Amino acid sequence: MKIPGSTIFHICRISLLFVLLSGSAYATTTADHTKFKQLQVHFNSGPDVTRTCIKCHTEAAKQIHKTKHWTWEFLNPQNKQRLGKKNIVNNFCITPKSNFDHCATCHVGYGWRDDTFDFSSEVNVDCLVCHDTTGDYLKSGDNAGHPKSTVDLAYIAQNVGKTSRDTCGACHFYGGGGNGVKHGDMDDSLAVPDRDLDVHMDAVGPDFTCSTCHKSIEHDVAGSRYMPDAKHTDDYHVHRRDYDEENNAHCRACHGNKPHKKADKSRLNHHANKIACQTCHIPEMSRGGIPTRMTWDWSTAGQLNEDGEPIERKVDGNLVYSSKRGTITYAENINPEYIWFNGKVRYQLLTEKVRYNDDGYVLVNEFEGSPYDGESRIWPVKVFRGVQPYDPVNQTLVVPHTTGSDKASYWKNFDWQKAVAAGMKSAGLPFSGEVDFVKTQMSWLINHMVTPGEGAVGCNECHSKNGRLKDIDGIYIPGRDADKTLDAYGWLIASMTLVGVILHGIGRIISYYWSKRK
Amino acid sequence: MKHHKTIFVVLISILLGFSSMAVAKEGNWKKGRIYYKMVCSECHLEKAGGKISPSEKTKAEWLDYFEKNIHGPQDAPTKYTASYFVSKEYRESIKNTNRAAKKMLKVPEDQLLEDVKAFLVHTAKDSDQPSRCE
Repeated sequence: MKIPGSTIFHICRISLLFVLLSGSAYATTTADHTKFKQLQVHFNSGPDVTRTCIKCHTEAAKQIHKTKHWTWEFLNPQNKQRLGKKNIVNNFCITPKSNFDHCATCHVGYGWRDDTFDFSSEVNVDCLVCHDTTGDYLKSGDNAGHPKSTVDLAYIAQNVGKTSRDTCGACHFYGGGGNGVKHGDMDDSLAVPDRDLDVHMDAVGPDFTCSTCHKSIEHDVAGSRYMPDAKHTDDYHVHRRDYDEENNAHCRACHGNKPHKKADKSRLNHHANKIACQTCHIPEMSRGGIPTRMTWDWSTAGQLNEDGEPIERKVDGNLVYSSKRGTITYAENINPEYIWFNGKVRYQLLTEKVRYNDDGYVLVNEFEGSPYDGESRIWPVKVFRGVQPYDPVNQTLVVPHTTGSDKASYWKNFDWQKAVAAGMKSAGLPFSGEVDFVKTQMSWLINHMVTPGEGAVGCNECHSKNGRLKDIDGIYIPGRDADKTLDAYGWLIASMTLVGVILHGIGRIISYYWSKRK
Repeated sequence: MKHHKTIFVVLISILLGFSSMAVAKEGNWKKGRIYYKMVCSECHLEKAGGKISPSEKTKAEWLDYFEKNIHGPQDAPTKYTASYFVSKEYRESIKNTNRAAKKMLKVPEDQLLEDVKAFLVHTAKDSDQPSRCE
């Protein structure tokens, strides 16, 4: 059979189109950055790359300047606390203050070493850390957010694209100083999760990226740990984030207020008014095979070996003791704790005197909530407990200068007085000269690693004595709150009613036949 | 005109040939990571003696592994090579129990092999980002 030349010609044209569309890794974009002459040069530094980026993306750096990712600052409009990574302390690595050389590895910028950093500089914005698609862009560990010298910046710049779980995860999976350390619901198992680990991010299913939920406008990403949307009452909001709406990264934005559509599950919708979706759909923390840290005792740091050298001990590959950090414990596949939460969070600031809870812990952050305020739902949280340095005279938490190789650095000299003195001086805060240790507690909302319905928390895990919600007060939970005496009275009344009804019926029957006989 | 068409067809054939070669040559480590984690690791964890992390071998050792194309164990059928476990035959055999294998059923074998190789080299012991991915 002879195939007409025109047919072959058309087949070839279609094939060419197919190759152009499918062969390119960036077929979904309108600009192939590998073709830009401006990017086919040698770049000496990260700012060099940004200088080129902003020639076309003229507003990008200015937009970044307004975001938390850049300022590491957030003014909570509810209680006027000035928060953000730059201002708060935690009980993991404590604070980036006076440690920016190291901690700025996770800043979307270049060169933040101290207070002299120029926050108005556009070329200091790091475009590549969020837009790299190669996986080869790495920041140096102790160089104020600059890339490693081995990174081929031109190659990275020519291969930029949309953000991904990998780019966000480069920092957010590793918060607190390592994989899965901080959050309990985020680690690098989410880079390629299966359906059981996260029904939305399932790599061979919906394959959500972080930005699918955390939508951004002008580079400002939705979602805040400082002011979470704990009880969103409006219904669907998917693909519509208004400027005046603080946070659209929550379940109800897509699932609405009656998320269970099947008839036999509709009963569960009644729970939605009092229980966050996460409470049932995130049954355990750290389900991806990577344990999260549960406690961190800085007071045991500083032990050296016989030669005066720092030591490290690991169990199953996890650091359980280090001279630099102290003693650490881990857990995985563990139930979260549960609290009433209305979205309001208050932090223990460095300028405030420490406040203790009934168990003697200083609450680094306090989650407000009550069964009676009409605004709270029951939420799962990771509660992280630590022992960290504080000033016993001024009664404040302190800034230790831990990182770096200078004489004041704790990791160099293992001297808390020197490290805290340097840290507090750098932060411009008063320090008495004395250091002691205090027990601290910090809570983290659990939002990720969402299991599909079949893996969710079962009814009897809460509706039972000593169930998951055994410590939640202010709500009657059938199965949990049964009282034997009350139950006995109930059964007695019901039994007596039944007996009364039967006796009444018998009486009516007898009287019927009696009257008939007459 | 006929002459032009002939030249065009020849050029397109060359382009197609080169592009398919190029695609097969450059593995996509992110796609390889999905297959490694959701197919290779799943089997190794459940049936084949536990996890094998990419960081257990150096780049050279991984390349050598693919070069020799031996998967093992020693008493396994001869067809159990490294390339067999990315083959369509293998993916077809497990598609009912493995969603990743089903999803990637149509990916050409040589392409998938390059993807997996790229991932293991990218995260090998002596790479910039050694992975203990299970």
